[in-house]
Amino acid sequence: MKRTRWLYPLGILLVCAAVPLAAMARIKLTTLPVRERVEIQLDHPQSTLVEEERIVPLVKGINQVDFSWANTRIDPNSLILRILPPEAETPFEVKVLSVSYPPSETALIWAVAASASGTARVRISYVLGGLGKDFHYRATAGRDEKTLELTQWLRINNNANEAYENARFWAGVGERFDKPLGLSETKEVQLARFAGVPVRKTYTCDPVAFGYLDEAQDKLNVPMHYVIKNAGGSLGKEPLPAGKARIFQDDGKGSSAFLGEDHGKFTPPDDELTLYLGLARDIAVRRTVDRNERQRIAGNLYRYDVTLKYEIENFKDTPVTLDIAESVRQIRDSIRSGETNDLDPEWQLGNGTLRQPDPDKSDADQLLFHVDLPPRAADGQAQKQVHTLRLTLNNEW
Amino acid sequence: MRNRLGFCLALLAVLLPLGVLARNVDLATVPSRNTVQLTIYNSEDLTLVRETRVVTFKQGVNPLQFSWANTLIDPTSVELKVRQPKTGVELLDTTYPHDRPQTLYWNVQSDANREATIEISYFTSGISWRADYLAIADPDEKALHLNSFVRVDNRSGEDYENAQVRLVVGTINLVEKIAQLAKLPVGRIEDALKKNELQEVRQKAARMMMAPAPVSAADSGTYAGAEMEASKEIIKEGLSEYFIYTIEGTETVPNGWSKRLRSFEVADVPMSVQYRYRPREYGEPLVRLYLLRNDAASKLGLTPLPDGQLRAFRANSQGGLSYLGEQSLKYVPIGDKIELNLGPDPAVVFELSKRKVYRDNLWFQVKGGSLYRKLGDDALKLELESVVAGWDEHTVFRQEIRNYTRKPISVQIRRDYPGDVVFRSQLKPTLHDFQTVQFETDVPAGGKAGLDYEVITREGYNQKQSRVELQAGEVGR
Repeated sequence: MKRTRWLYPLGILLVCAAVPLAAMARIKLTTLPVRERVEIQLDHPQSTLVEEERIVPLVKGINQVDFSWANTRIDPNSLILRILPPEAETPFEVKVLSVSYPPSETALIWAVAASASGTARVRISYVLGGLGKDFHYRATAGRDEKTLELTQWLRINNNANEAYENARFWAGVGERFDKPLGLSETKEVQLARFAGVPVRKTYTCDPVAFGYLDEAQDKLNVPMHYVIKNAGGSLGKEPLPAGKARIFQDDGKGSSAFLGEDHGKFTPPDDELTLYLGLARDIAVRRTVDRNERQRIAGNLYRYDVTLKYEIENFKDTPVTLDIAESVRQIRDSIRSGETNDLDPEWQLGNGTLRQPDPDKSDADQLLFHVDLPPRAADGQAQKQVHTLRLTLNNEW
Repeated sequence: MRNRLGFCLALLAVLLPLGVLARNVDLATVPSRNTVQLTIYNSEDLTLVRETRVVTFKQGVNPLQFSWANTLIDPTSVELKVRQPKTGVELLDTTYPHDRPQTLYWNVQSDANREATIEISYFTSGISWRADYLAIADPDEKALHLNSFVRVDNRSGEDYENAQVRLVVGTINLVEKIAQLAKLPVGRIEDALKKNELQEVRQKAARMMMAPAPVSAADSGTYAGAEMEASKEIIKEGLSEYFIYTIEGTETVPNGWSKRLRSFEVADVPMSVQYRYRPREYGEPLVRLYLLRNDAASKLGLTPLPDGQLRAFRANSQGGLSYLGEQSLKYVPIGDKIELNLGPDPAVVFELSKRKVYRDNLWFQVKGGSLYRKLGDDALKLELESVVAGWDEHTVFRQEIRNYTRKPISVQIRRDYPGDVVFRSQLKPTLHDFQTVQFETDVPAGGKAGLDYEVITREGYNQKQSRVELQAGEVGR
């Protein structure tokens, strides 16, 4: 019988001689098949699959192949030994007969039968703990903030206590690439570069999501976002995995300035990646409840007529679009303070200036309106715009 | 080799009473095991061991000592039978000495000087087996390669060499754990238990395993460069409510070791992929499943699939594997379906949005009334004090599914609606049960589906039933 063992933390060894299992601790001769090829599959969200190919010398009969993984977090139940088909000319049959697990050892022994002496190319696959990945992004916006250059980075953290001299990596997105990965090393690789990606800069006020800048003065926060659609050009073919994004802007002097950073969510193709950069202080929005009337229909059944008023000033030199977001439930609960119910509000839009919510971004509760704001006038004065949102809330009790 | 099961034939003091055996100077011979058979149950920590030994008896009474120090044998289960010769050798009595734990003595009467084959059987704990599975799907996910393994674990304290191994698939009833019995002296067990009850279970289990261990011809230890060694076959046969897997030949599983053998391997098992939303079974996300059947048409169906962990991979076009996930497979009878839940698929977006809410069919409960009259006016005004008591709540939903995979997908959705509910849609739904609506759709590769439906819940006074009524119709007002 032959016996093979992987050494280092991960080792194989081959022992020659027909010895039963119990006699294994005696004199043995071992061969050490080296790794021919390693593939590290990082496509699973939680688990990392490592596949390695080795050429194992076998004698005719039963061979014992030891595999050990001291000090690494291999899931032993995930271990698969596959014998790759030999070259066509050599009729050489190899089969795994059984696997034995010795007590209190991070090792196993495959009993491999061979129809003749020769070498077999085997592929060993296992789920390895401690080898993780994360994604991050770096974007540089142009001077005009119309397009940006987006780079996607993969960071591989090797806490698996094992080194791979040369491995082919696959992260589930992007191209496969070959890199060595040392012990306890962190490797950062640029997976993709997307140039000329159109970016939409949005200003949004949303009392529920972003709150007030000054609640006593009814002034809302107006955060600024970059919105990148995962579609068109080189984008849109694969999802963008979640990761931190840092955004810079070309300062026109050959350098760039840091604008802000945010956690980007998982963005499938066709979806939008929205990155919050910071507050826009040059757009002022005052939101007040202008009217709140209650009409009794019958018994304890009421109808409410509500008007929200927005006084908006744009102190920028450029025209911008402001997104006004509202939750009807939050409006209902605030005007019915102290006597809220669990019912979904039943509502109709009245004839305020805000009558056309964006159908793709609105539903039974959320309303989103786009409002175009002119730049401030030549004399420096910002023109105040007043918008109203009129709502009728029916069948409330 | 550590063999903790001692078996002695005391040669001195042959015709002396048992009390003499406890003396300090003794001579014994140790007949070795001829055959061992292990029958391992996976539902309980229980293994029936049946071993045969050849013993030379002299005419008269022959004392035998059997001891099992540091093992997990149930002392009440130890049985001695004479297999050869059929007559002339007889077990007279069994004694459990008070001063030596994990030992017993048998007195065997022989009518002549002769060689006899005896069989000793007992229950032990600490040996277990479990099944596990490896499924590798083809890159196009039309078929998969299914491997089934059995893994025998020996933590019993005893090395069993060249044993015939039989594995029982099924759930048997035990009134007492073998591991607990192994720790108690025999007398205490007899006190603690209703003896007949225990006996009954033992006998039931033992009767099923009556077949004696055949003397094995194949011996894995004596392999000497013959032709290509074949994988051991695992013979499967039904037995009452159970299934017995017999591993071909013999196996050696030393104490502390475990050994995994292939039970079967089938390539090209046809399968299909389905996406399912069933929050009661799979939780909130839409999950992807591989569906196949344990039947002959699927190249399976020779045996039920015992409980075990299943690991699923998909072969990629580069010859490598992608890890899909792990799940525990519950016992699958022959002919039943096998459903492998691979978890959510990030390439399929599944979003439910509430489009509109409205209420109608309002009913009031009148709680009383008040009559009002303005000073200086003859007109009276009756005001009823009434509160909303019942209404129909209409909620319009849109279920959006976006498929970013390269293949068309089929999606099945189940949603529970407790209460008195009308489900109105053009989706041709069916009722899975009285309160669960099921509907299906196909989404082309790279395509989208938007499924509109309206849920009308009759609330309060309007609720007359507790069931879902399916209605074909336009959604929304």
